[in-house]
Amino acid sequence: MRLVIERGELLRALGHVTSVVERRTTIPILSNVLLKASDSTISFKATDLEREVIEEAPASVETPGTLTVPAHMLHDIVRKLPDGAQVELQREAERERLTLTAGHSRFALQLLPAEDFPDIAVGPLPHTFEMSSADLKRLIEKTRFAISTEETRYYLNGIYLHMATRDDGAMLRAVATDGHRLAQVDLPLPSGAEGMPGVIIPRKTVNELHRLLEASAGSVTVSVSDTKVRFEIGTVTLTSKLIDGTFPDYARVIPQANDKELTVSNSDFMSAVDRVSTIASERGRAVKLNVDGNKLVLSVNNPEGGSATEEIGVDYGASALEIGFNARYLLDIAGQLEGDQARFMLSDPGSPAMVRDSSDGSALYVVMPMRV
Amino acid sequence: MSIRQLSPETINRIAAGEVVERPASVVKELVENAIDAGARDVEVVTAGGGLSLIRVSDDGCGMSAEDLALCVERHATSKLSEEDLFDIRTLGFRGEALPSIGSIARLEIVTQEQGGSSGCAIIVDRGAKGPIRPAAINSGTRIEVTDLFSATPARLKFMKSERSENLAVSDVVKRLAMAHPQVAFTLVTGERASLKLPACKADADGLLQRLGRIMGRDFLADALEIAGERDGVRVAGFAGLPTLNRGDASQQFLFVNGRPVKDRLVVGALRAAYGDTVPRGRHPLVALFVDVDPRELDVNVHPAKTEVRFRDAGTVRSIMIGAIRHALEGAGHRASARGGQDTIATLRPVEPAAPSRTTGAAWSGVSSRVASVPSSSPLSDFESPQGRVHGFAEPVQAAFTAFSATGADASADAEPARADLMDSPLGAARAQLHETYIVSQTRDAVVIVDQHAAHERLVYQKLKAMLTEGGVARQGLLIPVIVELGEEGAETLAEKADELLELGLVADRFGPGAVAVREVPALLGDTDVDGLVRDLADEILSESDDSALKTRLEAVASRMACHGSVRAGRRLTASEMNALLREMEATPFSGQCNHGRPTYVELKLSDIERLFGRR
Ligand SMILES: Nc1ncnc2c1ncn2[C@@H]1O[C@H](COP(=O)(O)OP(=O)(O)O)[C@@H](O)[C@H]1O
Ligand SMILES: [Mg+2]
Ligand SMILES: [Zn+2]
Repeated sequence: MRLVIERGELLRALGHVTSVVERRTTIPILSNVLLKASDSTISFKATDLEREVIEEAPASVETPGTLTVPAHMLHDIVRKLPDGAQVELQREAERERLTLTAGHSRFALQLLPAEDFPDIAVGPLPHTFEMSSADLKRLIEKTRFAISTEETRYYLNGIYLHMATRDDGAMLRAVATDGHRLAQVDLPLPSGAEGMPGVIIPRKTVNELHRLLEASAGSVTVSVSDTKVRFEIGTVTLTSKLIDGTFPDYARVIPQANDKELTVSNSDFMSAVDRVSTIASERGRAVKLNVDGNKLVLSVNNPEGGSATEEIGVDYGASALEIGFNARYLLDIAGQLEGDQARFMLSDPGSPAMVRDSSDGSALYVVMPMRV
Repeated sequence: MSIRQLSPETINRIAAGEVVERPASVVKELVENAIDAGARDVEVVTAGGGLSLIRVSDDGCGMSAEDLALCVERHATSKLSEEDLFDIRTLGFRGEALPSIGSIARLEIVTQEQGGSSGCAIIVDRGAKGPIRPAAINSGTRIEVTDLFSATPARLKFMKSERSENLAVSDVVKRLAMAHPQVAFTLVTGERASLKLPACKADADGLLQRLGRIMGRDFLADALEIAGERDGVRVAGFAGLPTLNRGDASQQFLFVNGRPVKDRLVVGALRAAYGDTVPRGRHPLVALFVDVDPRELDVNVHPAKTEVRFRDAGTVRSIMIGAIRHALEGAGHRASARGGQDTIATLRPVEPAAPSRTTGAAWSGVSSRVASVPSSSPLSDFESPQGRVHGFAEPVQAAFTAFSATGADASADAEPARADLMDSPLGAARAQLHETYIVSQTRDAVVIVDQHAAHERLVYQKLKAMLTEGGVARQGLLIPVIVELGEEGAETLAEKADELLELGLVADRFGPGAVAVREVPALLGDTDVDGLVRDLADEILSESDDSALKTRLEAVASRMACHGSVRAGRRLTASEMNALLREMEATPFSGQCNHGRPTYVELKLSDIERLFGRR
């Protein structure tokens, strides 16, 4: 293999793929990136066996070829090269090394056999649809905070992406829950997604995908099967295994009959929760919401740390209610709302509360209260 | 028929029937006496399965001529104080063994008191006591028993083959040797030396070396140190990884106050502690050492003293379970990493060289199982006020491998030192090693923190504080978690609903053998509810109902804390690490985990400098 590539192209491609490479892996080949040069492009592929990212970049290829080199090391070298440098990559004849030359710098990197580089056997991905990167990013951003990190209920360690039917039509829905709270966001179902299986996308893939989407403005092609999902974003392709499990029947936990409606300025609410929870100091203490008429009193009582209260004006017409929540959970949810007003649908101190954006019906959040 | 006083010989023979069932019983009594006499080196020689000869020689304190004359008399003992019959700190105490043996065999004792100038001897031949005569011996005692049971032919008939008597003798010596690693033992049955155990250090590492000699080298590689303490009961020792198991329970040893005993308590405790990690019909390997105030214990259940009765068996059981669980949990992924274990084991010396008496005896300090560095290593004699420095050799080595594997970018591991934090007692977090230990830096020391143990302590303290405030805050679950516990478990948990509610757990019966968990202690966050509830059910089953409610609650809180704490193996960010350090500083008792082990160690720079010969 012998080729020349512009440093910026090389850096961009490596930046996309190396983040899936685990820094600590017991399988040496997984620390490597697979380089494949043909015609006028070079492709880069990295994997952690659960997912793989492939990126292509233009290059003047003199001799095609395939080889693997340590991913983070190559990335670090390229990062330190001067802007605009022309980088020459050449496999040393006779020796298992790749020489990288740029200006007066010259590096030789040890190779590992390309045949050993793993492939996460993809198989057919029968359902394909297209959506805007912005939409997909929104689905992720509004739900991923609720993904469970606890590993015994592994089927909660991801976002459940599936079709849902509402009165106003078929939806592509993302749901995540850790058993304490739940986030659900809908989008009109993109054409081609009809009949797709419900899939649980693992957290690490979600984060990887989000990172790739941040750098993209165009559209994304999503392909799914029962076991894999693939996202094609411009020149990058992310393919991932899915969590093999059944997502719980979440619809049952979304309250249908919460009739105590409370509307509050979201920014006022957020900063009040944030202020009073300073006293809570850890997740074991609740923020109490005391609502009576148009007055909401937030309070935290921590015998070890002190106490705090704050009063804000709200819109509330139902009977007085006191209900406690984990402050972190309230902040997480309020942080997702885009409109000015947050709408709480409450029932009683032991039942789940539903929160929505007053101006946006596509997202809803459910949170279980805390009690002493 | 008329009543008559039994002759002393007859009394002794009846007593002998209880104390001496077979040759191994004689060996046990004599070796116990040697240990009680403070011996550092004990040699046991038998012939004919012990029937023709048993000889036990020791280098202990010996006896004066007067004591020698007395010791073969019934109920003559130097070990039991008349003031407090229950304060038993020696292996012997009944003063029965020597007269009993003397009544059913030919017993010869040759002894010289430590510091004395001449030795003396006595022979008791089937109850007939001979005169004290002078004899030549270095200080210590040699006791020879020949023609055992020749006076009681009925017993003789029940003897098994020579081989099985030899096995029983060897079993007795091994058990006593496990309990006394600092004593060297030699056992010769027949012609060849069947067992030779060099003296080991009197610390955990020494103990493990001794256990490894007896329980096998697998155990040496795959044993986890365990430690637990509560209400004056201490449980220590080593438990094998679940992956190391046997088809029978012969490799499970219990010692109470240094005395090898058999107790069914262990079987149940092990079942609860290992749960389903050990396959059905397989048995883990353990050596458990329980220390309790002798007054809390009745050893006088059986003349052979192989059984004990705990006043508070529930507590002992619960501490055992807790300590083993804790060790197994701390081991994290280790149980499934046999490959790595085996690699480490092959790097160990095949036969650990015997530490020389002089360096071994002075040994002190804390160390864990990682300290299995060849004792020939030049560092092994190095001691610091903080304990064994060489104990860190292996983890440090491994850390270097980890660093080199990650390549040039070490930013995930190494944090810049925040100068403002260097003055706080636990310093500024610099790195996390093995995703288990936080390394921080103060102005004059390096601090290593066990993240799980430390965090567990913090959570426990918070739970306790909330308990006294009137209850632990509960987080409701959107979807109740159904936990299958079996009839008994579900029933017990349901019965204790009120106590559990106080601790923040709400669960109700769900079908015959399950519970539905609806609320969990908020402090535990997004936790493994299933594991938590199973663990609590075991804890409750093992707690005796009569222990105080507060004790019970605290025991359960301790289990909960284990679940709510960062696991060994979780990567922490710099700010998480610093937050943990600051919280430790602010929390009472945070230097020790719930099981009494240190949560951190501090290595003074001066000690490290000495280690490198810079001072
Ligand atoms: N090996 C020994 N070294 C020194 N003293 C011994 C030894 N064996 C026995 N004795 C003395 O003889 C006494 C009687 O021993 P024994 O009959 O076994 O009763 P016990 O051990 O219950 O006291 C002991 O209390 C001890 O003082
Ligand atoms: Mg004795
Ligand atoms: Zn623990």
